[in-house]
Amino acid sequence: MSRAGVDSVIFQELPSPSTAIPSHDALKSAAPNRAAIMPANVANERRDGPRRTPRKSLIVVLPENHVVSPDLVTERLSQGGSADDTDVILACAGQPTSIAALQRRVRDLQILLAPAGTTGEDLRELAMNQAPGDIITLMGGIPAWE
Amino acid sequence: MTNGDLHSPQSANSRQLGTETFLSVIVSTRDSTATLPDVLRAIRKSDLSRSAYELIVVDDASTDGSAAIAARYADTVVRLAGRPSGPGYSRNRGVELARGAVIAFVDGDVVVRPDTLSRMLTLLRKRPEIDAVSASHDVQSGAPNFVSQYWNLLLSFGEQRHSGCCAQFAPGCGVVRRAAFLSAGMYDEWRFDTASMESVELGERLLGGGGGVLLSSELKVTHLKAWDLKSVSREVWHRSRVLARSLGYLRMSAAAPSEVVFTLSRTLVPAVALLGTLMLAAAFVPSPHSAAKGGLALAVLFLANLPVHRFYTRARGLGFAIVSAPLHILVQMVAAVALCTGWVLRDVFGDVSPDATVQAYSEVGLETWPPVPRRL
Repeated sequence: MSRAGVDSVIFQELPSPSTAIPSHDALKSAAPNRAAIMPANVANERRDGPRRTPRKSLIVVLPENHVVSPDLVTERLSQGGSADDTDVILACAGQPTSIAALQRRVRDLQILLAPAGTTGEDLRELAMNQAPGDIITLMGGIPAWE
Repeated sequence: MTNGDLHSPQSANSRQLGTETFLSVIVSTRDSTATLPDVLRAIRKSDLSRSAYELIVVDDASTDGSAAIAARYADTVVRLAGRPSGPGYSRNRGVELARGAVIAFVDGDVVVRPDTLSRMLTLLRKRPEIDAVSASHDVQSGAPNFVSQYWNLLLSFGEQRHSGCCAQFAPGCGVVRRAAFLSAGMYDEWRFDTASMESVELGERLLGGGGGVLLSSELKVTHLKAWDLKSVSREVWHRSRVLARSLGYLRMSAAAPSEVVFTLSRTLVPAVALLGTLMLAAAFVPSPHSAAKGGLALAVLFLANLPVHRFYTRARGLGFAIVSAPLHILVQMVAAVALCTGWVLRDVFGDVSPDATVQAYSEVGLETWPPVPRRL
């Protein structure tokens, strides 16, 4: 990730506003413990044996100053079959705004925080490395001013 | 996803494509981090509007992080676990998720030009009788080493000479109507578990379904894969053996004359006949020197391959053609031995089939992810 200046990420399920954006140094120190802070259910399911159906993930990519409509996310979830079977990961650069509505609409939303300035492509790659799914759909937000 | 899901009313649309045809671009890849960024960037730079296509990357059990690279550009990434299952299998998994009325297949080492996909779509739109269009090799680009240049030119030679309607659905870059692809039975993932002749076989089935398959000599794409002597020999061996064992040499030589195995082997028959005649004539000459016999054999092979050497001369100059002549003969010998091996294997063991476990799983209809290879 060094090409984008992204040294590490924090992966958590429901960040409180006070802990949403760690400092760059904190991110650096968190890097070696990425596996430790990954949700246990994700780590466990990666070790699972053969499955009958593919596991699906939806990655929502929000670069700085981008937003996403919760309706759009739920619509995409419903397109892919049962929404309950899909892991949703929100990958944000910098301070995420207006995600409370999305948190209410999507159960077990996982949020991936990266330092401000992280590009959309780097966010996608970071989120991909965390996504447990066999079929991963990626969608982007729109600039907040639109 | 079952086959029943695939045959939705939307996919079974008419052969007439509208001006706003949605395209699903499927890139099957395995361990190709070196080339994949260029391939996907080129697709994203296509002159199609971004809302006119979706980009699906199917990662065939890569171990080098190709999936993460794919995520930088793709709309959907499919990760296949376990052992590699081959491009035919991977492309089928991509089609199962595709929403487009037209499917484009692009290999993980093939770079399209900005107008390649849009021109292919235009061709399908203008010619409703055509079901599939594929692009040919660009002889002016690709990996710079000698063997890669030789191999790309050899593939291009066949494509140039036999472009037009044939069963050659080139795997590097091709588009196909979704409805025709599904009614043809998709790729044969039962027999072709490695990259070989799966697209030629599909092309033959598309032709059998009544649609046309067009190999365009005007649409060019760049193949980035670097070849060496070992990989070229392995490729020729594999293609020739599969062709002889599973597809039938004579039938395919009529259906897909541009296939490189035919370029290599077509000249061998007249060369052997001519050589036999000359040797018979030499029987009346007292004690011909063994070096003269060898020289005569090489001269006959050179003459039989003259069109290829002239093509090389035009493309890269006389020096390249001279240096490539011995390599060409070596590759021809590999093809000849592999064809004979394929015929023997076919007669002794029959056609290719997957291992017993896969057959048993398929027999009982076991549902797993990734799915058990499907029998046509």
